[in-house]
Amino acid sequence: MDTQSLTLALGDATHAGRTFDVMPVAGDEPVLQVTVSGAEETPVYITVTDTQILCLAYLFDTQELNPERLHELHENMLRISVPMPLSALGKTGDHYVVYGALSPTSGTAEIMQELVTLAENAIDLLQTFEDYLA
Amino acid sequence: MRTVLKKILTAMRGGVNELGEAVVDGQGNRILEQELRDAEQELKQAKQELAALMAESASLARQIRVEQDSASKREQDASKALAAGQEELAREVAERIVGHERRAGELTQTRELLQQRINGLKERVQRAERQLADYRRELQVVKTNERVLRTTAQIDTNINSNQSSLSTAKETLERIRDRQAREEDRQTASASLEKELTGADLDEKLKAAGIDSEQDAVNDVLARLKGNQAQ
Repeated sequence: MDTQSLTLALGDATHAGRTFDVMPVAGDEPVLQVTVSGAEETPVYITVTDTQILCLAYLFDTQELNPERLHELHENMLRISVPMPLSALGKTGDHYVVYGALSPTSGTAEIMQELVTLAENAIDLLQTFEDYLA
Repeated sequence: MRTVLKKILTAMRGGVNELGEAVVDGQGNRILEQELRDAEQELKQAKQELAALMAESASLARQIRVEQDSASKREQDASKALAAGQEELAREVAERIVGHERRAGELTQTRELLQQRINGLKERVQRAERQLADYRRELQVVKTNERVLRTTAQIDTNINSNQSSLSTAKETLERIRDRQAREEDRQTASASLEKELTGADLDEKLKAAGIDSEQDAVNDVLARLKGNQAQ
């Protein structure tokens, strides 16, 4: 699965009553921005490597957080990461992200499931951790 | 593996994860790839060597068996010669037997030495395979890390050029709440529309005004029953 075939596959597909709006992100790396209907606020970014399909959504940046409650937030993020379906929490640069990695042999159904779950999880996480924003 | 993970973490905390300053730099990446190729090469060589030694050992085993078979066959000959009173002939056969047994012994010794080398080599192959798996895992971590950094940098610049700036979590939350409120309104609207269509809303209004046709019917039946009893 590469980003091109993914763009074609997701364009007209529906999964669990959702549709997908796919847009390539300009640049050297093959990156797609996917907007899931009903969860438009948290777009999911997909990149495909030799070993995995990486999907991630941004939550918040370090400077948006209340520095005094950072430790508590981290603790809670670690705890919630385990039971959260198909997603894990992480950090890249200053961005806190929720992400999921799939095998490159995954089919469209698995990828769509991941995208829907990730976009919904991102919304739930934002609302859950709203109190930690500065 | 541990060293790679530590390097990545140290570099991240030091804030050197800017684009163009890849965490484990390209040089480190190339060194890892070279190590991987070296390990692969060593593994290939060791396996070839192992295969050759194992073939040699099998051939030695075959030769040993031939010598042993010949010795036991000659032993029967020697017994027969003795039984026939041919002492001289028996001695000649016995000399042959000694020759076969000596060669079998020598070959067995060679084979034992060979077996030791095979065992050592097998260990080397296993070690190389483990190392190879380690290198592959390390390289995967390094490459994925670089890819994630490049990808997020690309998303950031792209979004920045398209929408003036990456929306903040608070703005996103506001948009989420707006949408959720709209969805709720829609649900309430469709629920009240359904009530209108089924007449449920009118029943509710009548009930609120103290007019309840269901209750009236019950009262009528009760009144009739009471009338029957009185008669």
